[in-house]
Amino acid sequence: MRSLTNLNVASFEEAASAAQQARQLGQSVAFSGGGTDLLQQIKDGTDNADVVINLRSVPDGRAIETNGNGVSIGGLVTLTELSEDPLVNASMSAIAQAAVSVGTPQIRNVGTLAGNVTQRPWCWYYRNGFNCFKAGGEECFSLDGENGQHAIFGGGPSFIVHPSDVAPALVAFDAIFQVTGPNGDREVSAEDFFVLPITDPVRENSLRENELLTGVVIPNLSANTVSTYYKVMDREAWTHAEIGVATVIQRDGNVAQSAKVVLTGVAPIPWRVQAVEDFLAGKQISAAVAREAGEIGIRDAQPLTKNAHKLPMTSAAIETAVLSLAAG
Amino acid sequence: MSEFTREGLAPLSTIGNDTPRIDAIERVTGQAKYTRDWKLPGMLFGKVLRSPYPHARLVSIDTSEAEALPGVRSVITYENAQVVWGAGSVNGGRQYNDPTKEATIHRRYIFNNPVRFVGDSIAAVAATDRNIAEEALALIKVEYEELPFVLDPEEALEDGAPLVYEEGNLCPDFRGEFAPMISDIGDVEAGFAEADQIFEERYETGFIHNAQMEPRCSLAHWQGDKLALYTPSQGISNCRHDTARDLGLEDHQVQVITKYMGGGFGNKNQNQDADLVAATLSRRVGAPVMLEYSRREDWLGVHGRWPTVQNYKIGVKDDGEVTAIQMHGYSGMGPYRKNSGGISGMDAYGCPNRYREISPVYTNRTTSGNFRAPSEPHGFYGIENMMDEVAYQIGLDPVEFTLKNMRRPTEEQQFTNYTLDEVITTGAERFNWQARRKVIPGSDDGPIKRGAGFSFMMFRAGVGTSSAIVRVNANEQYTLYVGVTDIGPGAKTTMGMIAAEALGTSLSNVEVVWGDTDRCPYSVGESGSRTTIMTGLAVVEAAEDLKRQITDNGMPTGGDVLIASATPSPTTDGKTRQCFGSHFVEVEVDTRIGSTRILKYTASHESGRIINPSTARDQIRGATIQGIGQAIHEDLLYDPKSGQPLTPGYYRARHLTHKDIPDIDVHFIETDDGYGPFGAKTAGESGIILAPAAVANAVANAIGHRMTSLPITRDKILGAMA
Repeated sequence: MRSLTNLNVASFEEAASAAQQARQLGQSVAFSGGGTDLLQQIKDGTDNADVVINLRSVPDGRAIETNGNGVSIGGLVTLTELSEDPLVNASMSAIAQAAVSVGTPQIRNVGTLAGNVTQRPWCWYYRNGFNCFKAGGEECFSLDGENGQHAIFGGGPSFIVHPSDVAPALVAFDAIFQVTGPNGDREVSAEDFFVLPITDPVRENSLRENELLTGVVIPNLSANTVSTYYKVMDREAWTHAEIGVATVIQRDGNVAQSAKVVLTGVAPIPWRVQAVEDFLAGKQISAAVAREAGEIGIRDAQPLTKNAHKLPMTSAAIETAVLSLAAG
Repeated sequence: MSEFTREGLAPLSTIGNDTPRIDAIERVTGQAKYTRDWKLPGMLFGKVLRSPYPHARLVSIDTSEAEALPGVRSVITYENAQVVWGAGSVNGGRQYNDPTKEATIHRRYIFNNPVRFVGDSIAAVAATDRNIAEEALALIKVEYEELPFVLDPEEALEDGAPLVYEEGNLCPDFRGEFAPMISDIGDVEAGFAEADQIFEERYETGFIHNAQMEPRCSLAHWQGDKLALYTPSQGISNCRHDTARDLGLEDHQVQVITKYMGGGFGNKNQNQDADLVAATLSRRVGAPVMLEYSRREDWLGVHGRWPTVQNYKIGVKDDGEVTAIQMHGYSGMGPYRKNSGGISGMDAYGCPNRYREISPVYTNRTTSGNFRAPSEPHGFYGIENMMDEVAYQIGLDPVEFTLKNMRRPTEEQQFTNYTLDEVITTGAERFNWQARRKVIPGSDDGPIKRGAGFSFMMFRAGVGTSSAIVRVNANEQYTLYVGVTDIGPGAKTTMGMIAAEALGTSLSNVEVVWGDTDRCPYSVGESGSRTTIMTGLAVVEAAEDLKRQITDNGMPTGGDVLIASATPSPTTDGKTRQCFGSHFVEVEVDTRIGSTRILKYTASHESGRIINPSTARDQIRGATIQGIGQAIHEDLLYDPKSGQPLTPGYYRARHLTHKDIPDIDVHFIETDDGYGPFGAKTAGESGIILAPAAVANAVANAIGHRMTSLPITRDKILGAMA
């Protein structure tokens, strides 16, 4: 492993300004929460950080608490803490289910919410060192290559899929993303936090240089909110979603008053399927409705040469997720 | 659940009892010293530079910057260190044969030019720490001339295909002739003429990496003209002999030490290139050198199971009698002939007309080589799916079809014993085969479909030469010297148990000395499922000799000891000696998302008398787990345009995790045919042979579509159901 500088910082503000200073010196910088993935990327040479800004020395960003606006979750909350939190389990089970589905217990014990949401893609081209869009190049090698795991929605010019389980759940809950940078704090809506490759082919989110995600706020939920995260994996642990579906429904009796359905593993960002959300609004949740929701969910899909199997999978996953939220 | 049936066998004192490994405490408390745990004074660290291209000529190499980096002590390259890795490429893929290795046409060196796969080695560095060594690699400037490459074995044989060697891409056989491997028994055309129906199908299997926990590593330390190698070897005697030959030394100039190792599954047979690179670096710098491969290097740089294509043609009569079996196969060997490229399985059938033609082919993928039962799991997958399909097509239960057609003893070829009928019928009963299989495949209503599959096998359990020494002192304490290592099956414990039984003492009175060529006699090596039988027979013979000495001379007194050594050359009197097995598996396939889940697994085996039930059972379980992984998960995908591997490592190859592993019911029928040590046969490889076949048959039974390529991934299932 190449040598680098580790900087332990005491606050998010210090992290942002340290990043700015390092970059001004021409160094490349990475923020490290749990560091579970970053360290491997540095070893593999797919991240070339000269300076790692270690956030484990930051005392803030570790709480899950309710305030007037909703529930705030610190960016350094570990995935284990997130999955075990009583408040999250009681009112936002999709987030808890997503968190507990990540990786392995060892990864969840140190991996953080912010790290999970901002992790780099796991595309096998990017991770094997191809000079693709995500590595700063000008090509997506999957297009004419092995694209069985790649995007069926929102692709182009890069066809990576977003790897996070927690992110679609946050989007489904309309989370506000809290960002700290050298010039202070700002808040970004779930819709604006993630960006498609058509907008920025290199990065998956709208964090600017030297900014970091410090936490999220889930706005107050109506009491009749139910949610679930359904994940299809190629094995029972330590792998990303082939397809993941976060579904949040405001349910009256067995009627979905309103719904949010957000997919992961099939698009370069957490992918809202608004057509399904519109379809579900006002419907009784039944097997037939769930099946139709699944069919509607893939209407806009654009499969590549080797990933057409993701269409029936996506339909089935939406169907399963929606039906699991039927009353009774 | 597991069970051992021992009808008619006389009970023994030590053998047959669940016995903890004699080194269990050291292992679980972290005291066991693996190669990477050794630290020698002045030890340097080595790293290897590898090719980023699938095929390239090295035009030039400039190591000056790397050599100038503080802490770097030596840089060796294809230009200044031309050492043949004899075991790395052998005509015909044969092993342990000096003349064949000498005659090998396409040799593998520790560094190669041209480089022929992504991961082929070019140079190595020794430095004062690991990071400096790695930094130095980045400072080596190599000018490459990229050459055209070929990944697919069938494409490699087409006219105009890029050539891995100028003589062509068909691998030479052990005589150095460029010809396929052919086995022609009876008259296959006459067999087809006799048939009422003919079935044909093409099967494909992928590259599977051994994926042992411990990546390769080697610590080399020269003292004068003697080399000590601390290395995780599956056969210290072979490793010593191979290393001595490759370095131009006598065997006694090499000491191989393998106290503990983290598995191999065939990946650490003989010597490794890591041993030769470490030894070469160490000799140059005059200091011990620890060479460590990363997981990625281990995955790509050495070898795994070869991918195959198998084209079958089967002739069968309406009553289910198979009249002809023909197979044309291709095995992708990568650019070096590390092993045969065999595709076994059809010889488990008694059909008198069998024709097999296999073309082992050079490609620019990573090298293929030894992996637990090297030729069998992919071959049994092919033939057993073929036969399963034939059975359903003609309306027979595959178990009945097998009992009718499997190979049986004949006048010309007797077996030392034959229990296959019992092994199959017992397995079928324990599994409740009749209730679980779908007479009409794919007949479950709804999207979630269950089905059951079956396969059977026989596998060599021959006897052969190995050695053992046993000593007793005046305190009636015994010391057993055996040149074994423990790659997982518990060989040290097994040898101790056999000695205790043969000596009539308890295991606690036997100290086992292992894993050091300077302290232990020759042993065959932990490959080919041979240690228990071959070294075990030597232990029995040495123990009997010692007992005779005690009878003749009395126990030693004072500081005296009695010593007996044995190197028997047993035979099986012209009979074939086989172990037997049958596996039954029930799967549930969710046809909406294409996933396969194992619901029930029954493994029925006859491996002679079982020495240590707990480790024997776990050998079958571990091997079965690997076989399930081969069936439904593992592969090594390459980018077709660049020739770059995309899925190396545990994450990408999707090895089964603990949560994926079903309960595996293991049942042994114990026997004593009078040949192995107390009747023991082989167990280590047998479990993996059956699992891919049984799982694939179960998927076909569940969904009503034959899965003709491995791994059975969800895209294939969804494609079949679409």
